[in-house]
Amino acid sequence: MRDTLEHIETPALERIELDSQATVFRFRAMASPCEVCVEGLSSLAAEVAAQKAANEVARIEAKYSRYRSDSIVSRINAAAGGDWIAIDDETRSLLEFAQSLARESEGLFDITSGVLRRVWDFRAGKLPEESSLSETLALIGTERILLDGSNVRLADALMEIDLGGFGKEYAADRAAAVLAAEGVRHGFVNLGGDLRALGPKQSGEPWSIGIAHPREPENTIASISLRTGALATSGDYERFFEHDGQRYCHILNPKTGRPVTHWQSISVLAPVCAAAGALATIAMLREAHALEFLDAQGCGYLAIRFDGERFAR
Amino acid sequence: MSSKIDFAGSALARCAPSDATAVAGPTPSQTSARFGSITLAALALPGLVAPIGAQVAPLEEGVIAAKFGVYEDRQPGLTRVRAISPSLYIASPIASSWSFEGSLTHDNVSGASPRWHSSISSASRMADHRTAATAKLTKSFERVAVALGGAYSDEQDYRSRAGSLELRIASADNNRTWSIAFAHTDDNIFPTNRAARGATRRTNELGLSVTQNWTKHDVVQLAISRAEGRGYYNDPYKIVDIRPRERDQTTATLRWNHFIASSGDALRTSYRFYSDSFGIRAHTLDAAYAKALNDRWIVTPTLRYHTQSAANFYYDPVYDPVVGEPFPVVLGRFASPDHRLSAFGAVTVGVRADWKLDSRWTLDAKLERYEQRSSWRLGGGGSPGLAPLTALIAQIGFTRTF
Amino acid sequence: MKLVFFGASFFGRRSVLLGQALFFVALSSGCAYNPPAAWERGDLAKVKMKFDADRLDAMAAQHTYFSKEAASGGTGVGGGGCGCN
Repeated sequence: MRDTLEHIETPALERIELDSQATVFRFRAMASPCEVCVEGLSSLAAEVAAQKAANEVARIEAKYSRYRSDSIVSRINAAAGGDWIAIDDETRSLLEFAQSLARESEGLFDITSGVLRRVWDFRAGKLPEESSLSETLALIGTERILLDGSNVRLADALMEIDLGGFGKEYAADRAAAVLAAEGVRHGFVNLGGDLRALGPKQSGEPWSIGIAHPREPENTIASISLRTGALATSGDYERFFEHDGQRYCHILNPKTGRPVTHWQSISVLAPVCAAAGALATIAMLREAHALEFLDAQGCGYLAIRFDGERFAR
Repeated sequence: MSSKIDFAGSALARCAPSDATAVAGPTPSQTSARFGSITLAALALPGLVAPIGAQVAPLEEGVIAAKFGVYEDRQPGLTRVRAISPSLYIASPIASSWSFEGSLTHDNVSGASPRWHSSISSASRMADHRTAATAKLTKSFERVAVALGGAYSDEQDYRSRAGSLELRIASADNNRTWSIAFAHTDDNIFPTNRAARGATRRTNELGLSVTQNWTKHDVVQLAISRAEGRGYYNDPYKIVDIRPRERDQTTATLRWNHFIASSGDALRTSYRFYSDSFGIRAHTLDAAYAKALNDRWIVTPTLRYHTQSAANFYYDPVYDPVVGEPFPVVLGRFASPDHRLSAFGAVTVGVRADWKLDSRWTLDAKLERYEQRSSWRLGGGGSPGLAPLTALIAQIGFTRTF
Repeated sequence: MKLVFFGASFFGRRSVLLGQALFFVALSSGCAYNPPAAWERGDLAKVKMKFDADRLDAMAAQHTYFSKEAASGGTGVGGGGCGCN
């Protein structure tokens, strides 16, 4: 299956020269502010590389966004409970990754849990009815994504999948791969906070990355050094409402259907962004048992508990 | 599901050389060299520049390690040699696809010169220093790594210089690594007794190995190497020691590491077959069981058995009460009483402990006892007249990643 | 005349037996050839599963055994080792 390019808009880059070495290109994709920072390339080469990286992000968005009716995700969801849908290697790999995540997280990370949005109305800020919540929970389960070679089918007509849990992170990794192929050795990709570094600054110094304060949107709570690898953050402040003094955030446990409460935010360092993002989300979902999981996974992290206490490794 | 990082104080601002003041707070450590299952699953995604390969991936982080070793060997009633060896090791990525590895060792040896058999009581004293350095530069490509290495070792009467070139290739699934390596060594011998002046030896060595992830809990490696040396092999300090001027050596080594999922322990085993043109055949079995006591402690008992036949021209030193010094009974074209060329068996028993202080620091300590006896040769038939030799090796060290 | 214990062939009868023994140990512990997928390599990536994880220790051992025994090498081609010859 080929990606039909006419459906993909080429993102417009805003160029910011920071100094003679570093150039930052900003663009919008995946409903987020994005940036590509490049050092050590000529002005033209840097722009060509950044544009290709941005195009790659746009391609992934067009192919996997659930907001686009022509995306493969929308077509799989539309055919739920019905016909098998043919998928290409990339899509199959992403679905297999989702299955690995479900297995490794003992069912906490589930790309079919988006159905919970039907009962949780974050705009209205209302709690769902118990009965509708339990009906919806019955639709969740990665094991009910039937994968047969290059065909996929959702077992129940009401099921849906959503690759939002790692799609942006995957796009950051792919964009970094595009930059690497263009000869970039010093730079990073930042897609709305999901960050993948290709290598340190030309001077050999690491990039210094700020981590947003989960309760003061204008401030950073810490800064971390990153040479290569990825950083992703999962937090309870992205989308939430408060009801009777209780915060209900958008990260919902697929087993209980309820929002997580133990952590304000968890930032994870991993070799690739798709891993960092998934690790951060699974850690949020593991609530009080997050840190032992992150330790066992061998990654660096900064976790901020509900009471503001910080834990780092 | 990941959230935004505040741009005002984030990457964009820090991309500028006018580095904004870093915000205080605990900071997570850099990516660990150990990958968890989630990271490994993510690495299977298509089209990613993966920072991991089989054994060709560039180094992710630097390592610095130091050790301090004490070695002492003895024969009954006589402490023969004592050596103190501090050593230093560093491995570091130096650019995105380059890495450097180097080591420096200094041995301070004191003690008696080797005693040939059981009944000599006098032993001349000796003291020596050895300084050895190695360096290796590796360039990594997507599935291939090329390494250029050099080694230098210097003692009072001996100098060795070596250069090597290695090519490593990983299979598409990253489960198999092939390696081909060539090395050339130049040795110079300047004996203090001037038995040989400016003697040299040159050795060429070719090695082939394949490493295979056999299952998710087993990794095996088969390595075969062939070395051909020409030049001076005699021991200038022995009265009668005439060896061939060529030595061809062949080794085949099979290594197998097995992970025991139920306990988190690892069993490492190896078998080496050795054969050379001096007529020596040797078999060496090695086993280590790495037992994880908890997150921080690993205790590893080790066991090694070595057995070898004697060189064709080895003669058992026979002590003559009149003449004194052992003298060969049979004199062919070549002859040597060097105990290393005799037939014997040897057992090493040891234990090692690794203590992980935090994500960066690890301390290690090792204690080993080595014993060599002619009667321990596999199937018997060891060289008579040799006193058993025992050695104690103690070593402490640390490793820090950066 | 010395007894040629292991025979003149490259792999004597005894070493073949040892090789077979290792092979059967491998088979009997359920190690059928089944290379892992990328995400199954976590255990293999552990330090204790590496060959020569501690380079300094490997070099020191190589040097010690070189000074005691005839056989040497087998874990890496010259120069990278202890500089002993």
